[in-house]
Amino acid sequence: MIPEVTRLIDRFDQLGYVVEEELATVLLLMLKLEKPLLLEGPPGVGKTEAAHIIASYLDTKLIRLQCYEGLDINSAVYEWNYQKQLLSIKINENAQLSTEEKESHIFSEEFLLKRPLLQAITETEKAPVLLIDEVDRADEEFEAFLLELLSAFQMSIPEMGTIRATHKPIVILTSNRTRELSDALKRRCLYHWVEYPDFQKELNIIQKHLPEMEKQLTTDLVHFVQYLRELKLDKSPGIAESIDWANGLAALGAKSLSEEYIKATLGCVLKSDNDIQYVKGQNLEEVLTGAQ
Amino acid sequence: MNTTHYGNYDSIKEAIVGFNEYCRASSELGLGINHTKEALITANQGFINDKSSFRYALRSLYCTCQEQYPEFDKLFEIYWRKKKHNYSPTTTKKGSSNIKKKSKGSVVMMGFGDTRQDEDQKEDAKNVSGANKMEALRKTDFSKVSSIDNDLLDDLVEKLLQQMNHRLKRRLRTSKNGGIDLRKTIRKNMPHGDDFVNLIKKNRKLEKYRLNILLDVSGSMDKYSFYLLKFIWSLKANFKQIEAFIFSTKLIRITDYVDQAEVSLAMMQMSQHADNWSSGTKIGECLLDFNDQYGKRVLNGKSITIILSDGLDTGDPEILAREVQRIKMRTNKLVWLNPLKGMEGYQPLAKGMKAALPQVDTFKSAHNLDSLLELENILAHV
Repeated sequence: MIPEVTRLIDRFDQLGYVVEEELATVLLLMLKLEKPLLLEGPPGVGKTEAAHIIASYLDTKLIRLQCYEGLDINSAVYEWNYQKQLLSIKINENAQLSTEEKESHIFSEEFLLKRPLLQAITETEKAPVLLIDEVDRADEEFEAFLLELLSAFQMSIPEMGTIRATHKPIVILTSNRTRELSDALKRRCLYHWVEYPDFQKELNIIQKHLPEMEKQLTTDLVHFVQYLRELKLDKSPGIAESIDWANGLAALGAKSLSEEYIKATLGCVLKSDNDIQYVKGQNLEEVLTGAQ
Repeated sequence: MNTTHYGNYDSIKEAIVGFNEYCRASSELGLGINHTKEALITANQGFINDKSSFRYALRSLYCTCQEQYPEFDKLFEIYWRKKKHNYSPTTTKKGSSNIKKKSKGSVVMMGFGDTRQDEDQKEDAKNVSGANKMEALRKTDFSKVSSIDNDLLDDLVEKLLQQMNHRLKRRLRTSKNGGIDLRKTIRKNMPHGDDFVNLIKKNRKLEKYRLNILLDVSGSMDKYSFYLLKFIWSLKANFKQIEAFIFSTKLIRITDYVDQAEVSLAMMQMSQHADNWSSGTKIGECLLDFNDQYGKRVLNGKSITIILSDGLDTGDPEILAREVQRIKMRTNKLVWLNPLKGMEGYQPLAKGMKAALPQVDTFKSAHNLDSLLELENILAHV
């Protein structure tokens, strides 16, 4: 590990994040090369969290664009404020202005609603972190549009002309792999596959979130979650689910993990009925003693 | 010069360029000049001072999906290993050379190999040739087309499928008018003050479906596979995203080959890369593979799934029923095309077919051209 990476991990630790060596290295490289970073991995392993980490490390704004099927330019980049435009037309109805003047007035910045992408490139103070979440859900057309943005960091609005980024934003894209992204997009990004955390890392994360929880309970819980991931379930639990579960157990005042507690709170970690029935059918007592 | 180790270069700069060349030559990572440049910058930024940091950094630069990680790690280990060995392990280029070609299978798949019953077929084919040969050909069962009529049918297939595609496109394009486009309306009505004289409407966005096709290429389907593959190839023009798989005893993804511009090229590549032509059939197991490996990736959003199979299965019908149900839960429309359905008096009695049928939305035949062209209606009205 090079010293810079070590320093980065320590700093993240102070900020309350547990980051392993590889991700820290890639994050450092991203900052050095000023290249977008594409994070792929199963749901709930902390891909979105990485953007929060970087934003709090750099002490800058995090601008988030959540992608979904049918996301279009209007909700991702900009939109005109039609209501305001209409009012303005009404007010200026009797003013002695030419049509051109009226037009340039209502298509000025005052009437522009900035959506995340435009916000990110017009940020004046400091380069923001732009998180484009679940980019695999957006359409291919939107992906093509993103390509343009990611290579030039500029955008053109027909009525106003081209807007260039004042500070180049730090871009993080995440994908759950519900479809393959285009090669062109991947080539413009650094790539990192985020795996489920190993035992030690998950333990650290949960201790970070719930410092007052009993050590034994945390250990048992992490063991059990790791065991669940080995089963072939429809939806394997991510870190978010483990934290939820830990919170749930803490709220119930559990001191140690027992079969009754597991059965009562399994809904925190497993989100599909098939999985819950399957796990309940297993010999949980044995799994627990095996873990201890 | 031996270029599989960094020690063979004079400077670290050359070694990094050498590593890029080495990766380019012995892998399919698809590296360009840009990668070399960025690798040099990365090294210059201090990442080269530690081997694992350097590996993580380069890996994020070079790989574009998780599946490439092992390949990259291997190349990295070989090239940047500490001590230089006298013998250097050679990595073979992955490509057509080490893929076993099952020549007989591929010939059969092209529809010419099996000459057992050629004489009978000629008889049959003659029987259906009426006054209008083209018209008759459209209705001829693919399995009964003689090698004489083959070329003729080929042309016809291409022409008709093209027409169908054209119609499909038009149908998808002229959709109903949607809401008012405020942006355009305000612009166009500027001269009238706040009175909107002309309302401009915007068309509803084209709803695009993903299409997943699973084609059975087992022995019993031999006579049909060729035409059905052609059919799949011709469909790709209409659907932005089309995923194609072939299965017999195992499942193979052929999406990349279907993507060729020329149908003959696509066929050639497929016959080279897939070695499961004309073997037995385990539909259930193959669909299980499909669900596990690709299910989450391809069965999402709005999708249509087409299974092309005769349903003659040697596997467990229970698995088949369960897997078909799993597909059904994730797709908008499940279509099963069965060439045998074209036969007079056909009943879906085969174990596999019977098990799958309750889950299927549309069950149609696919034995001749006309029946394939009927699919147009299914695809246009989802």
